[in-house]
Amino acid sequence: MVELKGVSKTYPNGTVALRDVNLKIEKGEFVFIVGPSGSGKSSLVKLLLKEEDVTDGEVYVNGYDVSSMTRSEVPYLRRSLGFVFQDFRLLPNKTVYENVAFAMIITEALPKEIRRQVPMALALVGLSRKANMYPSQLSGGEQQRVALARALANNPALLIADEPTGNLDPETSWEIMKLLSEVNHRGTTVIVATHEKSIVDEMKKRVVSISKGLIVRDQEKGQYRDEDKNNQAYI
Amino acid sequence: MKIRTIRHIFKEGFVNSYRNKLMSLASIAIVVASLIVFGIFLLLVINMETNIEMWKEQPQLEAFCYVELDNTQVQMVEDVIKKDDRILQYERVDKEQAFAKMRDKLGKNSAILEGYGAEIFPVSFIIRLKDVSYSDEIVKALEGVSGVEKVSYSQDTIEVITRVSHWFKLGSGVMIMIFLVVSVFIISNTIKLTVFARRKEINIMKYIGATDWFIRWPFVVEGVIISIVGAILALVISAYGYSLLYDKFAQDLFLAESQLLSLVEIKDVWTQLASSYVIIATMVGATGSFISLRRHLKV
Repeated sequence: MVELKGVSKTYPNGTVALRDVNLKIEKGEFVFIVGPSGSGKSSLVKLLLKEEDVTDGEVYVNGYDVSSMTRSEVPYLRRSLGFVFQDFRLLPNKTVYENVAFAMIITEALPKEIRRQVPMALALVGLSRKANMYPSQLSGGEQQRVALARALANNPALLIADEPTGNLDPETSWEIMKLLSEVNHRGTTVIVATHEKSIVDEMKKRVVSISKGLIVRDQEKGQYRDEDKNNQAYI
Repeated sequence: MKIRTIRHIFKEGFVNSYRNKLMSLASIAIVVASLIVFGIFLLLVINMETNIEMWKEQPQLEAFCYVELDNTQVQMVEDVIKKDDRILQYERVDKEQAFAKMRDKLGKNSAILEGYGAEIFPVSFIIRLKDVSYSDEIVKALEGVSGVEKVSYSQDTIEVITRVSHWFKLGSGVMIMIFLVVSVFIISNTIKLTVFARRKEINIMKYIGATDWFIRWPFVVEGVIISIVGAILALVISAYGYSLLYDKFAQDLFLAESQLLSLVEIKDVWTQLASSYVIIATMVGATGSFISLRRHLKV
């Protein structure tokens, strides 16, 4: 599903974000990518979405050879993924329903299919009743659920969430995590980049820990260790 | 591209230009101004050309004899003209007739002719040709006839006017270009502002996998809408303005009846005006948007 082979990323200003990273994520997995800010966690996510290009190495996502793909292919890679951001990124002048439908409109999906799929996605995240509201009328947790519904609208095989609970209080964070977990149970591969220890520890999923551009640990049913936090203190 | 996508793109373009009312209106105003300037030049050129055509269809020459020529000498000139089979018909204007004509022309001011007689005027022949194309040779031939002082050549006037209209066209071409460049610039600036206003939205669209053109087309539509609206307004204004002018012209009996000048009626030119407005507007709008998108929308 996702494979990184000898991936390095150096930014034009000389900052080394990733050094010779090798990582393989199989279909159906639920993986946390943890590490303090500046560890290279965000860079890794950006490489998967082709927001940044690799300096060296190969990246495969969902059957796409991301490291060598042309700009014009990028939209098709992104359509095959679901993506959830820390800041939700909903279109403010579209309703909840329209926001979710929009992800399908851009893929030129049939209107019939949109009418079928959007209510299903909204039902999954429990927002059927708020379909006609605007993002500004919703709480943060609800907005993130809309974003999740949008990410799921096209039935992606892979869902990537970058700090999905970063702007949410602990209780709402849990709701989102439960949803992600449920999505995973339905067969979608889920990758969550986060630095929230309590959640990672509780969920007992695979944890890939990144520090200073290197994968320092990769554990099944892992935990966010104290040393990761210590790293954060240095940075 | 599927039809529903095209529909979506048009809807977005309309919604955006509406949301962007103020800038859209400013751009529309500029487009209207440029197109009206263009329209004025176009109408002038069309009128000039029809008048030139009209004059060309009146192949008239006037050959003037020397004033001091006596009747026999004039008769010799007339014989030459009579024999020329390229000449359809001619009319002899005697000294007295010329004198009377001048007196009529001067009207109230005819007093200045006091003390002069018909003898100061030359005898002339007004000549109608069978075909305009002969005019050059006939003029040469008549000028070679002894006793003929000069041949006034209606072709001369036509040539001057043709040349003036050539420079006029060139000049208006330059003016029109300047206005079009300004319009393109203004539209591209409007689109730049919409792009900036919506950059967050554009960014989101990119993340969920919208293709470059899916993002760009609504902006192109927006630019074209602005300029088409401008074209329609410009058409209404210039057609109305021109018919007012036409009516004023028709009321000016001296000009209208002199048959020296005629104005083209608006119903004969409005399709030409409308189609050039729409074509120019579409090109200006699309170019403006494209320039702006190339510079400011790195999708």
